[in-house]
Amino acid sequence: MDTVEIVMIGAFALAGVGLYGLLVVRNLIKVVVSLQLLVKGVLLALVAAGKASGQVALGESLALTVVVADTVVAVIGLAVAVQVRRVSGTLDLKKLSNLRG
Amino acid sequence: MAYGFLMAGAVVCAVLAIRARQLIAAALWLAGSSALVALALYLLGAHQVAVIELSVGAGLVTVLFVFAISIAGDDALSKREFMPNGLAVGAVVTFCALLAWQALPLEARPTVTGAAPFQQVLWSDRALDVLVQLVLIFTGVLCVLGLLKETTAAATGNALQEVQAAASHSANGHRPAEPVAAERTGVEERA
Amino acid sequence: MAGALIGLSMGLPWLGALLVWAVGDRRPRPQHALAVTSAILAALAALALMPLYQADAALRVNAGGVFGEFTFVPDGLGVFLAAVATVIGSLAVIFSVDYMRGAAQLGRYYALVLLFIGAMVGLVLTGSLLLLFIFWEMTALCSYALISFYNDDPKAVAGGIKALVMTQIGGVGLLAGALLTYAYLGDTQIETLLARGATLPSGVLAALAFGGLIAAAAKSAQVPFHTWLPGAMEAPSPVSALIHAATMVNAGVYLLARFYPLFSQVEGWTMAVTVVGLVSALLAALMATVAHDLKRALAYSTVSQLGYMVYAVGVGAIFASQFHLLSHAVFKALLFLAAGAVIHSAGTRDMRQMGGLGKQMPFTRTVFVIGALALAGVPILNGFWSKELILEHGLHDGPAWAYGGMLLGAGITALYTLRMTWLVFYGRPRCKGHVHDAGPAMRLATGVLAVGALSTWLLIGLFGELLEKSLPFHHLHVEAGLTLIEEIVTAGPTLLALGVVALGGLAWWYRANFGLAHDLLAPLGRAAAADFGFERLNTRVALATVRVAETLRTTQTGRLNWNVLGILGGLIAVLGVLAWGA
Repeated sequence: MDTVEIVMIGAFALAGVGLYGLLVVRNLIKVVVSLQLLVKGVLLALVAAGKASGQVALGESLALTVVVADTVVAVIGLAVAVQVRRVSGTLDLKKLSNLRG
Repeated sequence: MAYGFLMAGAVVCAVLAIRARQLIAAALWLAGSSALVALALYLLGAHQVAVIELSVGAGLVTVLFVFAISIAGDDALSKREFMPNGLAVGAVVTFCALLAWQALPLEARPTVTGAAPFQQVLWSDRALDVLVQLVLIFTGVLCVLGLLKETTAAATGNALQEVQAAASHSANGHRPAEPVAAERTGVEERA
Repeated sequence: MAGALIGLSMGLPWLGALLVWAVGDRRPRPQHALAVTSAILAALAALALMPLYQADAALRVNAGGVFGEFTFVPDGLGVFLAAVATVIGSLAVIFSVDYMRGAAQLGRYYALVLLFIGAMVGLVLTGSLLLLFIFWEMTALCSYALISFYNDDPKAVAGGIKALVMTQIGGVGLLAGALLTYAYLGDTQIETLLARGATLPSGVLAALAFGGLIAAAAKSAQVPFHTWLPGAMEAPSPVSALIHAATMVNAGVYLLARFYPLFSQVEGWTMAVTVVGLVSALLAALMATVAHDLKRALAYSTVSQLGYMVYAVGVGAIFASQFHLLSHAVFKALLFLAAGAVIHSAGTRDMRQMGGLGKQMPFTRTVFVIGALALAGVPILNGFWSKELILEHGLHDGPAWAYGGMLLGAGITALYTLRMTWLVFYGRPRCKGHVHDAGPAMRLATGVLAVGALSTWLLIGLFGELLEKSLPFHHLHVEAGLTLIEEIVTAGPTLLALGVVALGGLAWWYRANFGLAHDLLAPLGRAAAADFGFERLNTRVALATVRVAETLRTTQTGRLNWNVLGILGGLIAVLGVLAWGA
């Protein structure tokens, strides 16, 4: 198989692991970890797609924007987690859900 | 060949990060996964983004996690999960399989020749992206400032000050309350 | 140079908004000072931009392939409205210094007002359909947030939501229009649409034209979308003056005027616009005659005057409609601010509990009377010139029955204006308690606007010249100022209109003698008070929406994991559709 195809499969697998994490974790900080993994998969996919069509530079620029956005998300997510811990005393998602349908 | 090992390593680190019992371990496995992904990006030819991903993803974000975990506390995580494991794995595998089926025979995709170098693409073709990144960072800073502005001790101090200020205002006469009261007590002809 | 001034007049209010928020609510005096300074500087930048008008873009930001270029064109239409927005904006901010003294959350108030001023300037100056949509939405957001400013009052919150929902219907139409233009013509510039729009398939063009009419009618509170404007009167008075009289509601009329050369080619469009304007003008004038709440009467009056502007666009008198927009912005803002001063001191909005306030508030009475005379269309004041110009064009270019209706509307306008002024300032004092006249900042703002009401008609020649020279697609021919003035003064329709206005005034004065007419018209009065059934229709629609929302609420279980499963399920569905179709 072509190297780019291997990377694509790896990217999808990483995204899948990230999604799996979002589905099963119970701790707010682990949610941020899963989001980070999902975005890593996206990064790989973008650059691999760029390589496959010959425009690596375009794939790189898009990936750069995604890295910046993702870092900002991580920062804000962790700030929210810290505040939630201070205010409600717990990071457990089950105890935090106030919306009840 | 190297790619295969890199990808396998990244996926293994990712699974271990999700499965880890302690949050610090999860952060460290995430850093490992980031490093392997950065290496793969470098080998694909995206040198600049690989370096950035390594320093930001494996460095900065890990430090942030360590800070946040040390402040927020490393509770023992409960083992019971929200939803049946099988359902989650099944959904994710379906999703990945569909994606792979759609995207995969990659050589059939057309290639574009004469692509521009990275600097030109980033700074002139995608100039709007740079603007958007600036706005994102600015927004992030504002958000964090707003979120972390008041700790509980300072909050009660402020609340006390505001109550005193309101009391002295109402003692001065009815004027400050007036625009509020007047706008609200307008005659309503419909409910 | 023009580009820098455009950037300043948009960027300075936004910078001011950020600084006011950052200074914090514990220091109100720097907040007041910062807000006034940034508003005045933006007004100076917009005024300096006026002599630099041109028909091509002065500021271009390249946004890549799909979005095209974000352009800003300082043409005659844009610079005048930008100047109106910033100048009246700064006067409203100056007024707020007295009005909102001691109010809570002042930072939020000023930040939203300044954000709105910047967005309004961007809306009228931009040459890109996508940016037009974005600024349209920003003004709608600020309007909603300011209507619900007193957010512990359920009436204010309900009014804000109603305004938001009704104007958003139009906003979505704008986005659809921008995307259609890009799909068919390859570009999202307004000038591309105007130049090559005739090549669009007729169905698409008709959809664009009537969609634009709906968007404009929703934003400018025309029938049948007019019910949000009276509900928006829960906002503080400076906000009502700025947003719901002078600037945001004019965005709809601006849209119609901007795209007139293209949309008028669609069959039936101009007639539809004329009818919408006519119906709004008449119905709203009737509703203003029976209103008890001072701000509500002024809100209906705004709907009615906007109807005049829309009617003018319908008969093809673009210059007349924009000139009336200018006059209306000045005198309506004046009326709202003066009403705000009255409400602030009297403590109530009900006109039945006011009366004889003229002796205790002489300055406010004077400026209110000036504004009322301008609204009624009394000579020398700016309302007279612009309204006469509209009626004259209506007689020459439009259907006669429409002209008759607008003439009747002018008479009813005079009637309700005199009623409002009389109930508040003259007659037997019914107000309990002491009232004091307006404070210094309020006097400054209303005084400047009163001078404006007396004098902005002098700009008629300049405005006409700006429009003619810088709007290449509209093919306007506007004669010199003096010729126009002479023409208005000597035209037959002018005397006719003056006669009707006088009749309207006399009808109020001798109202005691009109017993029989009163009984005959009483059912009409009751229907007008019940908003001609539109309010009930609205409430039904709102209730239905709420019921649907309540049913859908059960999907919000609050558990993150199940929500993510839902997202994943949606993604799988999309991929499945793609795989099936491939």
